[in-house]
Amino acid sequence: MNSLSELHLDALAEVFSIGAGRAALSLSEIVGDEVRISVPSVQLINAEDINAATLSLNSGRFGAVNQHFSGPFNAEAVLLFTEEQALKIVSDMMGSQMAPEELAEFEHEAMCELGNIILNACLSAMADILSFTLESSLPHYTVASADEILYKLRQDSNQPYVMVLHIDLAIEKRHTAGNLVFLLSSASLTNLVSHVDQFLGKLS
Amino acid sequence: MTDSLLTQPANLHTADVRSTVIQTGTIAPMPSSAKHFEIADICNALNIGLCVVNAARQVLLWNHWIAKHSGIEEADALNLPLEQVFSEPVSPAFLSALKNCLAHKLPVVLSTALHRTPLPLYHKIEPDLQQARMYQSISMAPIRSQHNEACCLIQITDSSNSIKREKILRSHSEILKKEATTDGLTDICNRRFFDAHYEIAVADAKRQKYPLSIFMVDIDFFKPYNDHYGHIAGDTVIKLVANALKSQLSRATDIVARYGGEEFVLVMPHLAQNIAEQFAEKLRVAVFDLAIPHIKSPLFHQITISIGVCSGIPENNDNLLNKADTALYQAKQNGRNQSILLSLCESKEYLEQ
Repeated sequence: MNSLSELHLDALAEVFSIGAGRAALSLSEIVGDEVRISVPSVQLINAEDINAATLSLNSGRFGAVNQHFSGPFNAEAVLLFTEEQALKIVSDMMGSQMAPEELAEFEHEAMCELGNIILNACLSAMADILSFTLESSLPHYTVASADEILYKLRQDSNQPYVMVLHIDLAIEKRHTAGNLVFLLSSASLTNLVSHVDQFLGKLS
Repeated sequence: MTDSLLTQPANLHTADVRSTVIQTGTIAPMPSSAKHFEIADICNALNIGLCVVNAARQVLLWNHWIAKHSGIEEADALNLPLEQVFSEPVSPAFLSALKNCLAHKLPVVLSTALHRTPLPLYHKIEPDLQQARMYQSISMAPIRSQHNEACCLIQITDSSNSIKREKILRSHSEILKKEATTDGLTDICNRRFFDAHYEIAVADAKRQKYPLSIFMVDIDFFKPYNDHYGHIAGDTVIKLVANALKSQLSRATDIVARYGGEEFVLVMPHLAQNIAEQFAEKLRVAVFDLAIPHIKSPLFHQITISIGVCSGIPENNDNLLNKADTALYQAKQNGRNQSILLSLCESKEYLEQ
């Protein structure tokens, strides 16, 4: 039962939209302006089939915020933006407090916080709605090339499934596209599917 | 230190902190080293702020660091809601982060970048002294008390030093970057910068097929000047000539570099040959007009320069620098205080333009 049907994916997209809404609210409080986050699509892919196109990874360097979630299912969650976009987001979030050349030194810390807000919001929404509790590590930020990221995503044979959420983040009129990637083991995927089934069962 | 605390929560297991007991939900074997210390002593010896609050945000732990930097003793903080402990307001972002951490049981970070000073903490507490709050980096981790109550461990580190260090490192690296490419005497580009720039300029001109002009400039009778006036005066002349050459440049794409001793080189893209010729003349006049006396200059009795120019669209193995050097040699042979231009290829179309 290691697959998600269209119905499952729709339900998850709904769950993550709620999470995205929570994250946007938290970010708005920090930025002091409207922030909108939407999750236009959710996909499930075999890790070995993942490529640059699925994640719209072009050339260049990417900023990745990692958090490891554990509970009824374990997932390595990675939020990906191009490094250039990451710097722009940080710059938008900090407003005029800082000169652009000063941004780089704060990029890591600020991206950790941004990633933490989005990841926690999506995962806590999922936990609330599907009725379970999750624990998590603190966020960790790395900058890497597309090849390095793909290599890492594919190399872990214990986590053969990859759930990809395309994310659209708008801060003060600037739209940024990113990806939220979950690496799942077979057992974790099975558990996730059964939780979604229970949830769908309650609805019907 | 923050990391090691979080990755080894076992250190915080099972020991008593005064009346408060900290324990996470998991049952881990007690590390043998933990038996040798009171957890309270460790918390108090830590050089970071530690505070634990329960779901009602009441303070259950308040270590020495946070007491020292807030000016609020442990006894005055315990059991009060965190936001009421301080006489000054706590930032709203801090409170909503705390609320999220308690509600969702997920760890939260507050970066210095986005929240400089969420809590009213200071380096030194001195009454009657207005001072700036300490820059803080905060993380919050959900933990459970022995009574199975959901709590939040707040860790605060002073990020002032890392901000200061970053600034110092950045300004050093900027200075070093500038020094590595600047000539110490004249403050124009140095040979190292020129070598790198020249290669790129030639490759660009080749690829995009536009003319590039290289000017080799040499101060006439410089050795006799040095011998007569001394090296310090010689250095002054080099500086004055460098400035005169630099003052003739107005486009961002043009560079002048000290090539060696009393030799300079200019790289200028997109210059038609007749313009390059006129420009060389401008350079010569700019130095001549400095009117620096030089009694050992047999012809002019003042400082002059000779210029060799090579101009054209580079192809294959064309060596503009060698050709400019040949032109300079000819200018010297012809009697100095003049410029000679050699074009890369006489038949090129741009010559007729």
